[in-house]
Amino acid sequence: MTAETVGFWGIAVVLLASSLAVVLTPNLFHAVLYLAVSLVATGIVFLLLEAPFLFGVQLLLYAGGVVTIVVFAIMLTERLVGETIRQTNRWVINGAVLSAAVLAGVIGFLLRGETPAARAAWPEDSTAAVGLALVGPYAVTFQLLGVLLVAALLGALYFARTDD
Amino acid sequence: MPLNAYLTLAALVFAIGLFGVLTRRNAVGILLGIELMLNAVNINLVAFARFHGDVTGLVFALFTIAITVAEVAVGLAIVIVIFRVRRTVEADHLDLLRG
Amino acid sequence: MRAGSPALALTVLALPFLAWTLIALVPPLRRAGRVAGLLGIAAMGAAFIVAALAWLGAAPRTAAEHPAVTWTWIPADAGAMATVGVLVDEVALAMLLLVTLVSLLVQVYSLAYMADEPGPSLGRYYAYHSLFAFSMLGLVLAPGFLQMFVFWELVGLCSYLLIGFWYDRPSAARAAVKAFWITKLGDLGFITGIVMLWGATGTFDFGELFRLAGQGALAIEGLGTIMFLVYLGAVGKSAQFPLHVWLPDAMEGPTPVSALIHAATMVTAGVFMVVRAFPLFALVPDLLVLIAWVGAVTALLAATMACVESDVKRVLAYSTVSQLGYMMAAAGAGAAAAAFAHLLTHGVFKALLFLGAGVVIHVFHTNDMFRMGGLWRRAPWVGGAFGVGTLALAGIPPLPGFYSKEAVLGGVLEAGLTWPFVLLALTAFLTAFYMTRAVVLVFFARPHAGPAAGHGHDHGLHVPALMDGVCRLLALITIGLGGWMTVQALRGHGDAHAPGWLMALSLGLAVGGIALGWSAYQRGVPDPRRLAGVIPLSLIGAAARRGYGLDALYAGLYRAALLGFSRVIGWLDRYVVDGILNALSAWTLRAGDVLRRLQTGLAQDYLYGVALGVLVLLIWAQWGAS
Repeated sequence: MTAETVGFWGIAVVLLASSLAVVLTPNLFHAVLYLAVSLVATGIVFLLLEAPFLFGVQLLLYAGGVVTIVVFAIMLTERLVGETIRQTNRWVINGAVLSAAVLAGVIGFLLRGETPAARAAWPEDSTAAVGLALVGPYAVTFQLLGVLLVAALLGALYFARTDD
Repeated sequence: MPLNAYLTLAALVFAIGLFGVLTRRNAVGILLGIELMLNAVNINLVAFARFHGDVTGLVFALFTIAITVAEVAVGLAIVIVIFRVRRTVEADHLDLLRG
Repeated sequence: MRAGSPALALTVLALPFLAWTLIALVPPLRRAGRVAGLLGIAAMGAAFIVAALAWLGAAPRTAAEHPAVTWTWIPADAGAMATVGVLVDEVALAMLLLVTLVSLLVQVYSLAYMADEPGPSLGRYYAYHSLFAFSMLGLVLAPGFLQMFVFWELVGLCSYLLIGFWYDRPSAARAAVKAFWITKLGDLGFITGIVMLWGATGTFDFGELFRLAGQGALAIEGLGTIMFLVYLGAVGKSAQFPLHVWLPDAMEGPTPVSALIHAATMVTAGVFMVVRAFPLFALVPDLLVLIAWVGAVTALLAATMACVESDVKRVLAYSTVSQLGYMMAAAGAGAAAAAFAHLLTHGVFKALLFLGAGVVIHVFHTNDMFRMGGLWRRAPWVGGAFGVGTLALAGIPPLPGFYSKEAVLGGVLEAGLTWPFVLLALTAFLTAFYMTRAVVLVFFARPHAGPAAGHGHDHGLHVPALMDGVCRLLALITIGLGGWMTVQALRGHGDAHAPGWLMALSLGLAVGGIALGWSAYQRGVPDPRRLAGVIPLSLIGAAARRGYGLDALYAGLYRAALLGFSRVIGWLDRYVVDGILNALSAWTLRAGDVLRRLQTGLAQDYLYGVALGVLVLLIWAQWGAS
């Protein structure tokens, strides 16, 4: 039992539990909080996969930014008159069946594929490698990403404006 | 753990996210499900990157995260506007495109 | 055996065609009615002169020569498939003369008879006349079945156009359509027979066919059927029983038209065709017997119907049917020459009778004989002309009818067809009887009212000079023809093997008929009404008045067939065709309703769809790949 195995199983349980909680909790605020937990758990999975940079990005952007945004959105879209933000799900059985079917399909693919059993060679400083890749082969994409973010920002600003 | 373990984990999270997308009534709840699905995709990407020794997967995952952030921002902006106009964000009530 | 010049024949053919083209294509010419008439008459007159020249200039030929000139119409690899041209033998020459002469006289007569017609209408009339002359001449000159058929149909078209000339009269329009339909029935048989014959021999040409017949190469399976089908064309066109019903109704057309088309020329086309193609018919003796029988029955039946008619034109129409029966009977008996002779003589004196009837109708303003009478005292010349025609038709020597009728009877007797002979003899008696009846009613009976009524004023009857003149001319031609035939008979050129008692019999029948008619209608001994009441005469009379039920039968069949068929088609259209369409549209609408429920407008439902699609893709990729 290596440390990695133990870590994996532990974080897997946390991730799955929190994900289930996200989709099953009636209270929307709680769901967001559970989402934050699952996002952090994902970050730890990245750590287990020796991608520390991505762990950092995950925490910053996802757990930090996205969760904040969603909380604000919830606050702005609910009547804040003491009413708990409760909700029930619709067509649970159908959704469960369909999701299970998709899961079965994907797992089926997994089982028949040939995947490497052992990890391949990994640069010591993966962050540096990522950085080099970003300004190297993927420079254009990186810039486009910037454009996309500006567009998203403008879009969000436009939508959020008040009509006066 | 072999690659398949990570991939299976990602598949499970994806399925759970899909379930959330299909069943949640609140629009924000649907977006949370989408978040989970994107998360699962990221796990997949990083796992493949590690096991194949190619940093490209990490770069891809980075891009995915960035795009997700943009998408969430715009998506929630839309939800807020809808709330302003129709005073509801329940997905069942947003059926103006009904045939 | 003589042959005429093809060039002259073509000229005769071209002249009325030219007149027709000019009148039809030059509207001002047509609108000026009389000018068109004069043009038609000029063309016809020139054609008659050329025809006479052709007749006089005909050169002798051997029996083996076939004086035809043809040009390729539809070329084919192994010789032409269809040819056009002219065949100018003595039969054709005689017909040329008859057609051009009678056409000329009728067109001249029409100038006076149709003088009340408005200009454009008159122009149309003369255009049709010229077209008819051209068609009839083309038929007569045809060297093969195909050309004959083309002109056969053209002639039928002209008949339709001219019967229905006053097309705003419903009865005229109906009569024209009826004529067209009934003759079309026969024509169906005709074209089928011709094509089958072509299928068996590969040619339409008469010369070729006669040669093959002579060589015995035509002893093919089904020749009897083929020739019967060809004969059907003659049944329709020459008004043989049971397709005779159109001819009396065709009297709706102007009287000059009746004289030309339904007495002298068009209706004789059937007889002409049988005479022309006689070598082929001779190969099927049973068919000839049938033709003779049908002809004899037609003759008698039509004669009985003429006895009960009150419309003078219809009497003449039935008389024409009856005489056509005579001609066909002679042809069926193998005496083609006698049939053709009767065709020629009948053409002349029947035209005379019709034109005379035209004068009578013009004077009395009615066709009903029972409203006429006493015309003899007022217009003896008309009476004389009409009388000449009557005597010729009855068969009194020295008029031509006597000789041709005797030739017919002789031919039938010689062929051993006793019952047809008896029928024809009876018909001869009835012919004389009903013609005398007509003459008495029109000319000698005491007038009830009208222009010939003696009481009161005595203003002169105005018979237009042209009409009177043409009638007198035709009477003279009749007498002249009779004189020529008498001379021929006295010289012994006639039929030498007719038994001596035949002449006495035919004369006796004619005289007897005239005597009975005269005494019954002029003197009242016996009273015609009481005579008609005697059984079986009353039964025959009643049946004859109803046309022996044929018209009713045809109408019933037509109605049943057509309406029945249309009802079936209507049902199919409403329930099958429309049903399919309605069902399709209903299904489409229902499918649309069902599919519309997919468009809920809810994003999550669409996401369901996406997820399902992904699932399908996964499954397909898994199973497809394996």
